[in-house]
Amino acid sequence: MNAPASHSLPAIAIPERMLTFGLGGEHFAIDAQCVREIMEVPAITRVPGAPAFADGLLNVRGAIVPLADLAIVFGMERAAHNADTRIIVIEAAVEEEAATIGILADKVFDVASLDGAPVESPPQVGMKWRTDFIIGIARHAGRFVILPDLPRIFTECVGQIHRAAPHLPA
Amino acid sequence: MTASILTVDDSPSLRMAVRIALTGAGYNVVEAGDGMEGLSKAGTQRFDLIITDLNMPRMDGLTMIRELRKSPTQTGVPIVFLTTESEDGLKAEAKAAGATGWLVKPFNADQLVKVARKVLGR
Amino acid sequence: MSDGADPVAAFRIEAGELLDQVERALLDLTGAPAHRGLIDEVFRGLHTLKGSGAMFGFDALARFTHHCESAFDRVRKGQAPASRALIDVVLSARDHMQALIDAGNSSDPALDGAGEAILARLASAVATAPAAAAMDAAPAPEAAPPEAEAGWQIRFRLPEGALANGSNPLALLDELRDLGPCTVVCRMGELPALDAFAPAECHAAWEVTWAAADAGEISREAIEDVFLFLIDDMELTITRPGAPAATADAPPLPADTAEGPAAPRPAGPPRESVRVQAERLDELMNRVGELVIAQSRLELLAMAQGQVDAASLRAVSEDIQRLSAELRDTSMALRMMPVAHLFGRFRRLIHDLAQETGKSIELVTDGEATEVDKTVIERLADPMIHVIRNSCDHGLEPAGERAAAGKPATGRIVLSARQAGGEVLIAIRDDGRGINRARVRAKAEAQGLIAPGAPLADAELLQMIFAPGFSTAAAITNLSGRGVGMDVVKRSIETLRGTIDIDSTEGDGTTITLHLPLTLAIIECMLVRVGAGRYAIPLSAVEECLELPATEVAGTRRRNFLDVRGELVPYLRLHDSFASDHPADLYQKVIVVAQGRGRVGLVVDQILGNTQTVIKSLSRFHAGVSAFSGATILGDGSVALILDVGALIAGAQKARRTRGDRPAESAGEAA
Repeated sequence: MNAPASHSLPAIAIPERMLTFGLGGEHFAIDAQCVREIMEVPAITRVPGAPAFADGLLNVRGAIVPLADLAIVFGMERAAHNADTRIIVIEAAVEEEAATIGILADKVFDVASLDGAPVESPPQVGMKWRTDFIIGIARHAGRFVILPDLPRIFTECVGQIHRAAPHLPA
Repeated sequence: MTASILTVDDSPSLRMAVRIALTGAGYNVVEAGDGMEGLSKAGTQRFDLIITDLNMPRMDGLTMIRELRKSPTQTGVPIVFLTTESEDGLKAEAKAAGATGWLVKPFNADQLVKVARKVLGR
Repeated sequence: MSDGADPVAAFRIEAGELLDQVERALLDLTGAPAHRGLIDEVFRGLHTLKGSGAMFGFDALARFTHHCESAFDRVRKGQAPASRALIDVVLSARDHMQALIDAGNSSDPALDGAGEAILARLASAVATAPAAAAMDAAPAPEAAPPEAEAGWQIRFRLPEGALANGSNPLALLDELRDLGPCTVVCRMGELPALDAFAPAECHAAWEVTWAAADAGEISREAIEDVFLFLIDDMELTITRPGAPAATADAPPLPADTAEGPAAPRPAGPPRESVRVQAERLDELMNRVGELVIAQSRLELLAMAQGQVDAASLRAVSEDIQRLSAELRDTSMALRMMPVAHLFGRFRRLIHDLAQETGKSIELVTDGEATEVDKTVIERLADPMIHVIRNSCDHGLEPAGERAAAGKPATGRIVLSARQAGGEVLIAIRDDGRGINRARVRAKAEAQGLIAPGAPLADAELLQMIFAPGFSTAAAITNLSGRGVGMDVVKRSIETLRGTIDIDSTEGDGTTITLHLPLTLAIIECMLVRVGAGRYAIPLSAVEECLELPATEVAGTRRRNFLDVRGELVPYLRLHDSFASDHPADLYQKVIVVAQGRGRVGLVVDQILGNTQTVIKSLSRFHAGVSAFSGATILGDGSVALILDVGALIAGAQKARRTRGDRPAESAGEAA
């Protein structure tokens, strides 16, 4: 369909409450309901041979949780960790199955209701990111907030991993 | 005093069913898995009633009943055996061996409790 | 007052076991058809199933089993032989019974039809007409015609030995009194002379009378019912005073089967249960007890004011460490089951396969007492069935071919199990024709798995069998299907973190060996450091640890070999494999691991010691990195990756090949 960019489409269903956080200079928002906890950055175990976007492992209360860096997904610079960096532990669907995943955030802002704010689907052109990875873009507190489609992103990346079948260099 | 009933059967599920029915009616129940165990348990404690299957490995019910009756301490203890429809001839043999009464399989909890009450008088 | 136990569920489990016993006895009977003990065993099993089935509401099962029992009774009485045909029918009947149990009380016309067919075969096998349904509902108790206004009077006397046999006249009198207000008179008139007086006998007789006003509700049956157990042997007269024609002893009542037991609840998934040795449970309790004590000592130390005595703390810590290890072992032991369980199932399989293929096949087992984790046993069944089917279908030759080859007419399948180090080895061996290398080669080339003419080691050629869709069977029989068996088998074994080996000699036979880790969840590991990361290597794979000789430290990447007591052992620098940007240690260590039939060294920066680890699986994101089979959380809370030694090395070999190394290096790779 040749929908023109930047016009409001039939309402995109967004969750009531969203957690907003900053990453790579942009603001993101995800469904607050799927957030299990927010923690400071613990020791991250690197997994040799794993794709850059998810090459870390964490211990979250005795469970081994993979660490995903959305910055890599969106082609942003990987930031160094500082005092504000947090890990948001979420429950998301990966290939239709529930999984626990940690994502990096440069800074966590708050849980807000985006209700009433107009949500637009991402424009087809002029976007530096893959549009199918984004549910939409909203305006909140004077800024553009990106709503990433996490299940889509994770499923796609896992699929890539399967296809690449990585092995370690000798 | 609560009556104590010994149930002897090699089928754990049947013992379970009997136990549930009888404890529900206020009796104490002790289980044994075959004739030998039944004899041994009866030797350690005088039961108010013994309910036994006939068809068991190691020592069958009839043999157990006969052995039980040989012992003076078991005189007068009511013994009820479990039987199936087709085993009519067995009733006479069992009575000759010393059984007091019988219960025909399949039976439900009420029928079991009724027989227990009948034979125990309480 | 329910204690949560469900007799119906318990019956299902029991019935399953009974059916297994019956099956075993039937299979044994094929080899010894006149064996009385086995015949009785089968009969007893059927009889018990019939009785208990009816008890718990499995009416269809009870009816079906009744017919089988009657038929087998003829064998028991010697009126029909335990022929092969009969045994096969009863085996089918046994399967049907299992199906009936699984179906519960829901009716299924297809199932009923199948049942009828089996009963028909059964009937012809014992050459008799099937017994008319003997499990009809009991005839309704005869209703006594209502009598006119009259009372009842009965007189009764107990038979000899009644008291000794547990009859209680007082209870009988109470029951009679419950029927209605009555007068009871004890008649001592017939007491014998003193010297004939047996104190244990009841010499009294009783008369019980109900007046007409009180007798309205009382029926003759009700009175006779009181004497249910004695009526055949006792003296009992029942009269209706005030009415003509007294009747003599009434005939005994039919048994009380008017009300049946409740129907079984719909079959939910059976709660899993495990047979556990009592001693293991006792041990577990002891350990837990000791742990509780150690824990309270720890608590005291923690609450102590002032300095904590380091020695005491250490002592408690060591105790707890020891106890946890023992608890771990004991708990795992609870889950261990002998493989006999598993091997037993295959007896029936081989029996059926022999029928289907028309070959004579015998099954030999070895090491049945070897124990394996319960989950592993459950997940091994299907892959092993596949392998056994393959052997019976393709491996074993038909009788003619065997004779020509000088082999005994009966093909032989040997199942063996043994523990070696941290593994359990289960082997399936057949003495058939072995794997035809030429055919495998041709098939592999046809499927594009190898280039025509490319050199390939025998071991690697055999591994082609595990490629998806591979099948060298000229004719795809019904049994083994399209060769999807072997790659699925391999994957199933790998899911259990095991490996699978093939050994085969053309003309002689084939052996498939499954290597399985001793337990799924906890393994003993060697912790090492490579760069900034820590990794765990399963101890079962580790053979020895050496220092990396100074000469090798600065060595080039091309020639990675060590001389270990004259043996050339290739090695892998994990620092490079893991692309660690941490500078390498000066003195590195080599951990020599067993891989396939060879040995390989893994070079690490530091050995941190042994530890027992709980294996946790990697997420989907990392599942693709085959070098790691899982991860574990160390004592300090950090995560260590667990190396999958085989995959790690295989991956390195592949990488080297892709890099196009010269053949000289390739020759150094472990087989």
